[in-house]
Amino acid sequence: MIDTFSLLLMHGLIFLACWRLLGRDDLDREESGPATNILGRPRARDGGQDMPGA
Amino acid sequence: MAGRTCPVRDLFFILFLLGMFALGLKRPFILVLVYSYIDIVSPQRLSYYLLNSVPISLLAFGGALGGWLLMDDKADCRFSRRQGIMVLLLLYCGYTTRYADFPIEAATKWDWVWKALLFAIFLPLTLRTKLRIEALALVMILCAGTIIVTGGIKTALGGGGYGELNLMVDNNSGLYEGSIISTVAIAIIPLILYFAHHGTIFPPDRRVKLFAWAFCFACLLIPIGTEARTGLVCALILAGMMWWHTKRRMLYAGLGMLALLVAIPFLPSSFTERMDTISEYQADESASTRIQVWKWTLDYVRHNPLGGGFDNYLANSFTYQTVQKTQTADSVRVERITVTDRGRAFHSSYFEMLGEQGIPGLLLWLALNVGTLVQSGRLYRRYRHVADPRYRWVAPFALALAQGHVIYLVGSLFVGIAYQPFIFMLIALQIGATTYLRRRRREEEWRPIVPGEPARAAR
Repeated sequence: MIDTFSLLLMHGLIFLACWRLLGRDDLDREESGPATNILGRPRARDGGQDMPGA
Repeated sequence: MAGRTCPVRDLFFILFLLGMFALGLKRPFILVLVYSYIDIVSPQRLSYYLLNSVPISLLAFGGALGGWLLMDDKADCRFSRRQGIMVLLLLYCGYTTRYADFPIEAATKWDWVWKALLFAIFLPLTLRTKLRIEALALVMILCAGTIIVTGGIKTALGGGGYGELNLMVDNNSGLYEGSIISTVAIAIIPLILYFAHHGTIFPPDRRVKLFAWAFCFACLLIPIGTEARTGLVCALILAGMMWWHTKRRMLYAGLGMLALLVAIPFLPSSFTERMDTISEYQADESASTRIQVWKWTLDYVRHNPLGGGFDNYLANSFTYQTVQKTQTADSVRVERITVTDRGRAFHSSYFEMLGEQGIPGLLLWLALNVGTLVQSGRLYRRYRHVADPRYRWVAPFALALAQGHVIYLVGSLFVGIAYQPFIFMLIALQIGATTYLRRRRREEEWRPIVPGEPARAAR
């Protein structure tokens, strides 16, 4: 009974946490300063999404 | 595995894992979390037959690695010095396994150690954003919570006892071992409290805070339930560290003393009796054996400085005397009992590393752990007074990791958890946070030479 309660509660929370990650764009990419190349210089973001009209 | 057959539980795990893999198809980073979950909770050990026949761990690792290789942005990846140390440690463990004193036992341990090390080397490469760092930390504590909440509730209902607290599985390995879960339960308390104040996946409202406090309480109950003395030492040290960082130290010292006085009468008598033995190590076979094993290890390394490979403690054997006091009606009878022990485990991560991997292995392991602690301290100091709201999470997060790591290093004095996958994951988390923040600083320090033309420079 206790085992089942604990398993359901914690697994539910783990699943909910991962579910919430789906809606978060900042999981894979952050809107920060420009991304840098290996020399520390900014590089263009692929897809050009940050530059409307480009 | 637990004793009863329960196909419903099997079905539950299968549905849960299928759901998680499905989420991972949408966001590949979730597969990294799935592997962490499998590594910590070991659902195949909680299930009865279905999951045992499928290599879920391999599937999840393949998915995590494949997702990273095919889908993830790798331009920001940096390989840190500590990952290099882990590579060296992995190679060195491979070398000692090849020439191990007990090749079959060593191969068994190597089988899970190399996986834990490889995953810890890989993990920081995936931690490219703050949310990923947070997600991993959250999933890790929730996974440990699967065992801790069960143990906490059972202890609260009076089901504890040394080696008796039922943590869902009968075999005593991984996080399911009493002393290990006691150390880990105390080590994650600072991280749980971090999430009660700074989490963004579950923003801290009243429910989250209430859950976090209940979770911390369950963590504190684990050393009581398992009656692992290491847990009590860890809890006291954590209390001291947290008290040091409070603003009203006198008030909290008073409250702490009061809480302790109120709590002691509620502790089971077997617990207080066992804790009383901390200072009487001579009368305690477990403590006497430890000291003998440690002496044996030092002697072994003197002759074999490169170590004897995994599980080389099996070679030890010693006869010694313990002192037993028996209370009679009007006197205390002191008896010396001769005990012979063979193949006693190290009961200390430091001696475990020294005996198994010799001086080079111990030095690598110490460099890894001390490096992690130093880096956490640096992050904390650097971001302690930062005004930028984007970085306010850093100092409390670094402090929580540092406090957790100190607890691990203290617990390691008495428990053989040198290769514990959970701890390697905590180290990987710390490396991920350090490299992420270093990259962010570099990005923000960079300014184009021609003012007012950032767009051209960015092209």
